Amino acid sequence: MSEHLSAQTIESYADGELAAGRVRETEEHLRECAMCAGKLVAQLQLKRSIREAAWTLPPKNILRPRRQWPAYAALAAAAVLAIVVLIPRPNNELADLHTTILASANPVDVISPDRHTVKPWFEGKLPFSFPIPEFNGTPFHLAGGRVVYVHEQPVAYLMVMKGAHRISLFVGRDVPAPRIDAFESIAWTKNGLRYVAIGDVARADLDGLRVCFRD
Amino acid sequence: MTFEELAMPLFASLYNYARWLTGEPGEAEDLVQETYLKALRGFASFREGTNFRAWMFRILRNTFLTSRTGLRATAMQPIEDDDQFVAEGDPETIFLHHADAQLLRQAILDLPLEFREVLLLADVENMSYREISEAMSIPVGTVTSRLTRARAKVRRNLQEKR
Repeated sequence: MSEHLSAQTIESYADGELAAGRVRETEEHLRECAMCAGKLVAQLQLKRSIREAAWTLPPKNILRPRRQWPAYAALAAAAVLAIVVLIPRPNNELADLHTTILASANPVDVISPDRHTVKPWFEGKLPFSFPIPEFNGTPFHLAGGRVVYVHEQPVAYLMVMKGAHRISLFVGRDVPAPRIDAFESIAWTKNGLRYVAIGDVARADLDGLRVCFRD
Repeated sequence: MTFEELAMPLFASLYNYARWLTGEPGEAEDLVQETYLKALRGFASFREGTNFRAWMFRILRNTFLTSRTGLRATAMQPIEDDDQFVAEGDPETIFLHHADAQLLRQAILDLPLEFREVLLLADVENMSYREISEAMSIPVGTVTSRLTRARAKVRRNLQEKR
């Protein structure tokens, strides 16, 4: 078994910041070494506990002017308020699915990092097909896939990893874009199919994932 | 993308961050409001392709740091040299199965301001080290060492209290 992981390596890995070239050896060690895996779990738990403990929702009336504002500031505040009011009600369906799948003991039905295994698995299960890009050389790797139903329509679900973070990617003809605070999400359309990615990663990571699917 | 499309999804995050900086709901509301006004006015100078979220957080914390509360908070900061820090051993494997959220919040509050900031941006906002470095105008290496140190302090704080 390789040498134990340094505290710094475990921390970087938990933050999804480990250099791409070191991810494989680190994961190999984690599979074999209960001690380092335990430290990683403790690190991830601390992160999660901090996130949960440190989160406060804003009060609803926050953008009402509370003091005497100069006229231009009141106008600008009114403009911002108008923007807030115009935001459509959030659609949480996909966020709920994302959470349910991640919490499941068997999150995916086809478990493979190989797109040549995952793509054929979807054949005959979906009324459409879509390309799965090669993730080698990107910060992402494929964990697997399954079929989920949204608005009674079959939708492809891919689980994509960025370091220790799991990203849900939904692909279908009519997938509603979520608007959620708890996770990052982005949506795009390609060849008539709607792609929605959700995960507890940085926005830039989701943009990176979209780029993978562009070609 | 318009200002609204970019800025409004960040609203809850900016408010949460403002709460942790000011420690007080009313002041946090004022801070967020001022941030949006400044951002709206300065949006023309925002360059497409740079990180909008980091830009917004930078406006918020610069506004805070020049406010009365902010000046007081930074004046009280002990000076700690980032580069002198040597990682202290392995992370103790403390399990926070049912971590007392109140204890944890206190431990975060006890952190010196710049440690509290990196921790919140990394763990609550899930920012990459690169984004944090942009938001706080500090090098990535400093982000890493402050983060390691912030977590070590939180762990030690929790262990002392249990």
